[in-house]
Amino acid sequence: MAEFSWETRSPLDRALVAGPNGASGDAGVSLTEIRNFDLVQVMARRGKAAEMAEAAKARFGVAAPETPNAVGAADATLIWSGPDQFLALSTGGKHSIEALAPGFTGSASLSDQSHARVLISISGAKARTMLAKLSSIDLHPDVFGVGAAAATSMDHTSVTLWRGADRDGQAVFNLLVFATFAESLWHTILDSAAEYGVEIGHPEELA
Amino acid sequence: MRIICPFCGERELGEFTYLGDAKPVRPAADAGEDAVYDYVYLRDNIAGVMDENWYHGGGCRAWLKVTRNTLTHEISGVEAAAGAGARQVAK
Repeated sequence: MAEFSWETRSPLDRALVAGPNGASGDAGVSLTEIRNFDLVQVMARRGKAAEMAEAAKARFGVAAPETPNAVGAADATLIWSGPDQFLALSTGGKHSIEALAPGFTGSASLSDQSHARVLISISGAKARTMLAKLSSIDLHPDVFGVGAAAATSMDHTSVTLWRGADRDGQAVFNLLVFATFAESLWHTILDSAAEYGVEIGHPEELA
Repeated sequence: MRIICPFCGERELGEFTYLGDAKPVRPAADAGEDAVYDYVYLRDNIAGVMDENWYHGGGCRAWLKVTRNTLTHEISGVEAAAGAGARQVAK
């Protein structure tokens, strides 16, 4: 019987190499991975959407998004992922699936996605220009402001995209992608961003 | 071609998968072999407006009923298929 030694590793462990990438000069795109988060898919059971909404309000103190938006709670972000469903993103185990389950008994089905998705953070002066190559949806601030979210596809890969709080006056796009597609999409993003110059940051913890 | 998903808004065709005619209804268990044969195999070949089932797999993963003109590709209506979720974005 072989002995296994399990070691938790990010799916981007090999692909993410911190430092400059692509065109030299001022980097137009800043790119990094956010690690160590709890991510739970909350999906209303048939006919129980109202009960789920109530349970979410009680748990997080804010109403869960019913349209494509990301809502900031005190210690979690609730991201719309489809009709009558959302993703709860948090850190430190406070809203892990074990912690959330009792509150949603009977109203929603929960599924732990913490290790099933990779969270990529994209910002910089050319972030939106670069994303326009990958995404068919309009990310102009007039229609995709802070807190806007979308369940969409990039490079034929399903992603959850939302705009976080601006950093240094510039838009920050957060991208959740299936773990096994993350490396492929990461390289596609790097290829798209190369002409603007990329600054790849060391992986960060979820704030 | 673009489809306006009632949940996500306007999206490109690549995010959707086509199932087919939305009209056939699964027959009752005792409806007999002919009814099941019709349901499984027989389809109208409509040149004009028809209701179709589409799946928004590259987005919100909802099933949609799309009313499309097969001659012009003009889409005159999109709604959530029976059993899909509740809240829809403003048109």
